[in-house]
Amino acid sequence: MCPAFGAIRNLLRMEDAMPIVISSGDGCMYGHTFVAHFYVANRPVFSPGVSSEMWAKGTVFDELKAMVYEIAEKHAPSLIPICSLCVSDTVGMPFELLPKQIGNTEIVYVPLPAYSVHTHARAKDIVVDSLVWRLPPQRKARSGVNLIGEVFPSDPIKIDEVLRRIGTHVNTHVPGPRWADYVAMVDGSLNAPLHPFYSDSVKRMKMKQGLPFVDGAPVGIDGTYHWIKDVGEALKLDPAVVEAVAAEERDKVVRAMADYPLKGLTFMVAGYEGHEFLLVRLLIEAGANVPYLSTSVNTNPLAREEEAWLKEHGCTVLYTANFDDEIGALEDHPYDCVIGTTPLCAHAKELGIPAIYYTNAMATRSLMFAEGASDILSLIVSTYRSKERYDKIARFFSADGVPRRTYSSWAPTIDLTQHLLANDAFGQPAAKP
Amino acid sequence: MSFKQELKSDIVNTPIRKRVTDLDHAGGDTGAMQAFASLRDVNVVLDGPVGCHVMPAVAVINYTDSIPYLQNVTCSELSENEVTIAGTLPALKEKVARASAQGRQVFIVSTPVSELIGAAWTTLDEGVKGTPLFFNSESLDADEWVSRDRALLFLWQNRDHFVRPEGVVAPAKPARPSVNIVGPTYGCFNSYSDLAEMKRLLAGIGADVNVVYPFEANSYDTPRLADAGATVCMYREFGASLAREVGLPVFFAPFGLEETTAFLRGLGEALGVQAQVEAFIALEKTTTLAAWQDIWRSTHSDFFANAPIAIVAPPTYKDGLERYLGGELGLPISYSAYRTGAESAPSEAVRAALRDASPSPMLIFGSINERMIVAQEKLPSRFYQASFPGAVVRRAIGTPFIGYSGAVWLLQVVCEILFDTLFANLPTSYAPAQRADKPTAQIMQEAPGVVTQAGKGQNSVLVWTDEAKELSERTVKRAPFFVRVSVTKKLRAEAEKLARERDGTVDLSIVEEIVAKFAPGR
Repeated sequence: MCPAFGAIRNLLRMEDAMPIVISSGDGCMYGHTFVAHFYVANRPVFSPGVSSEMWAKGTVFDELKAMVYEIAEKHAPSLIPICSLCVSDTVGMPFELLPKQIGNTEIVYVPLPAYSVHTHARAKDIVVDSLVWRLPPQRKARSGVNLIGEVFPSDPIKIDEVLRRIGTHVNTHVPGPRWADYVAMVDGSLNAPLHPFYSDSVKRMKMKQGLPFVDGAPVGIDGTYHWIKDVGEALKLDPAVVEAVAAEERDKVVRAMADYPLKGLTFMVAGYEGHEFLLVRLLIEAGANVPYLSTSVNTNPLAREEEAWLKEHGCTVLYTANFDDEIGALEDHPYDCVIGTTPLCAHAKELGIPAIYYTNAMATRSLMFAEGASDILSLIVSTYRSKERYDKIARFFSADGVPRRTYSSWAPTIDLTQHLLANDAFGQPAAKP
Repeated sequence: MSFKQELKSDIVNTPIRKRVTDLDHAGGDTGAMQAFASLRDVNVVLDGPVGCHVMPAVAVINYTDSIPYLQNVTCSELSENEVTIAGTLPALKEKVARASAQGRQVFIVSTPVSELIGAAWTTLDEGVKGTPLFFNSESLDADEWVSRDRALLFLWQNRDHFVRPEGVVAPAKPARPSVNIVGPTYGCFNSYSDLAEMKRLLAGIGADVNVVYPFEANSYDTPRLADAGATVCMYREFGASLAREVGLPVFFAPFGLEETTAFLRGLGEALGVQAQVEAFIALEKTTTLAAWQDIWRSTHSDFFANAPIAIVAPPTYKDGLERYLGGELGLPISYSAYRTGAESAPSEAVRAALRDASPSPMLIFGSINERMIVAQEKLPSRFYQASFPGAVVRRAIGTPFIGYSGAVWLLQVVCEILFDTLFANLPTSYAPAQRADKPTAQIMQEAPGVVTQAGKGQNSVLVWTDEAKELSERTVKRAPFFVRVSVTKKLRAEAEKLARERDGTVDLSIVEEIVAKFAPGR
């Protein structure tokens, strides 16, 4: 999927925003609207038409400007984000000539050249960053925690409930469905990026509003405990109360996880949402062996602590990972379950390995506290339990014991696993299946 | 192997008292008529009042088989004169004479009224070939399935009675391996597509179709059933009695990859065409089933473990769908029941099971009865027809349930319904967007700033009371698993919107209000 879609999906989910997408052509636009209408919303996606002549004569901008005025006057949404994709950002458009406000409508430029955005995660960061930039200065009197990052819809309520027990509350949560959710950020006294990729947004908030932040999320045994403690510390809340609540929530997670032991199972996890750090934490705490985490997220300061924790638990993080490596590793080591991208899962299924697509099955599922842990682990356990089904189907389609390759027969074998083996990532040398 | 098991439909239970809501099967006279009328050279005379004719042969047949009316079915059109005074024979004789004059083999089928008054058919020409035959359909006690089974057996028992018209040359005995297909009659759900798939499978393994009985046969073809190497029975509900009497190896139509493969291999062994069978299976894997493997490897199948379904249908389809969709694909079966014969689940039990299932099934296979339950109980489930009763057009032959093609088609159906469910539950559908009623500066001004009183703010996270949370969780749990994110989002957004308009807390009454509005889900 085009990295820019990470931004477009969040903007389209805003009920009082009407994004305009300056596409790089009909092929680009078709792809974005196709997936938008499958994953996001049944609402129109607006775009000025583009052609080589329009680019050459500069009429794309004229058309864009006319659209902005028309939409602002006719529909008066709170926000018109201008999503500028590859071509428009390369050609360069005089976005500064657009008005910042028309009536009650804010017009915000969101730069999304996919060739330099690279990942969904980065695109999501750009959205929050672009909107935060438009905010007025922070209030002097402020309280509560700003949650940043997509989570299961009931998670903010759950987090709020826990925070109230330690003497604070959730102030707002972004990306949210309303412009007011972003505006409310100026009332908060602490930012909590729940995924390790909102680095630019957090930096901007720190720079512009002077807001401190805590990273990580209340996920898993250690994660839940430390996150609550970190928030308490950052806001200088009563340490005894904070310790009691943190320990209580941690114990609940421990009890919930005991129902879904994953001991002895080896998982391959490849994600591109940033969320995969948290998922792997849960898997490891439930007893699973996760030799490495492959993520398309680039290395950044917010991920450092997560990475250290994972490393300590035998999991190497591969940033900006390469799909070929994953395929190679899959061929080489008997994984029990794969959670990853579409082509990776397809390949796993050809080999008879239970596999689930990260975005559809995992992302935006609740991971937090005890309920989140049991929710996601039950899904994983049920997937693993159907191993026999996957195996049977793979056997049916194989010829003379060789899986029928329909997609990835070009993939290189080896490299990564050898490398990991040399580093003792699997503990025991992997036996060839 | 399960495909060899035979499932006999018993006579409808006949206790002293019973109650019926939303009947799921036709009577014995209809079943017999549908079996006999399927033969090309036959005329069926229903011995009964006009309703016994126009209901099955005109009104219903138009919505099961998309045929305006059955031209080879007539009726003695009994009135009070025949029933109370004259007796039924004169009226019946007139209709029989008219049908016989066209050179057709006549079958007289009893109806409840004629059975009640003890009407029968006795003539002096009994035993003479080609004369009308009387069939007591036991219509008050036998259901359509039992009756079809009896009718087909009756045809076989009378196989020497039928006359091949002069000038119609009997085909030579098959030289190549050949197979009978016993099964389709009028009024069998999806039979056109399933028959086409069975023919395709047989052609694939190099077997000829000997006779498709009774659907593509004449009465005088009946003895030819003995010329084949094996018999395939399309349904477990009927046809097996005939197939057994014919005496050839019997196979039942298979559902799903595994069963179809075993079916083909079994048939290959019986016919001595094992090599062709293996070649065909290998070819199918890269042609017909390439679609199957592609869908399976796609992310579509990730949803299966969390997309519960319910199946309510006669045994062949109910069991077949359950084995394939439940067993092979791994969709959880939240409820399944027979809706025919002695094992039929009472309508109220089906209603209660579908209504109370948590989560609600994503998809319910069934008849119009289940479709009504989905509508009346406002279930979030989608409906897909897998059984009669219920008006439907299934004449294009691209919708098989059986065989390899059926496996692909059903996989496609499930995925499409999954997408349909996703669309219905998309969290955002505002067009145009909500209007901004104030500029950003004013939002700031009016925002409460520091939240002094817990949760009473303009900001996005509001306080939910415990009761509100509990009801919201219960509601969400009823939604199919894979749309819970969307449902939760929708519910939360609507409830908080209302709460903001009121005092800023989401309480039970607000959630109740939203849930009531929400429930239909379609």
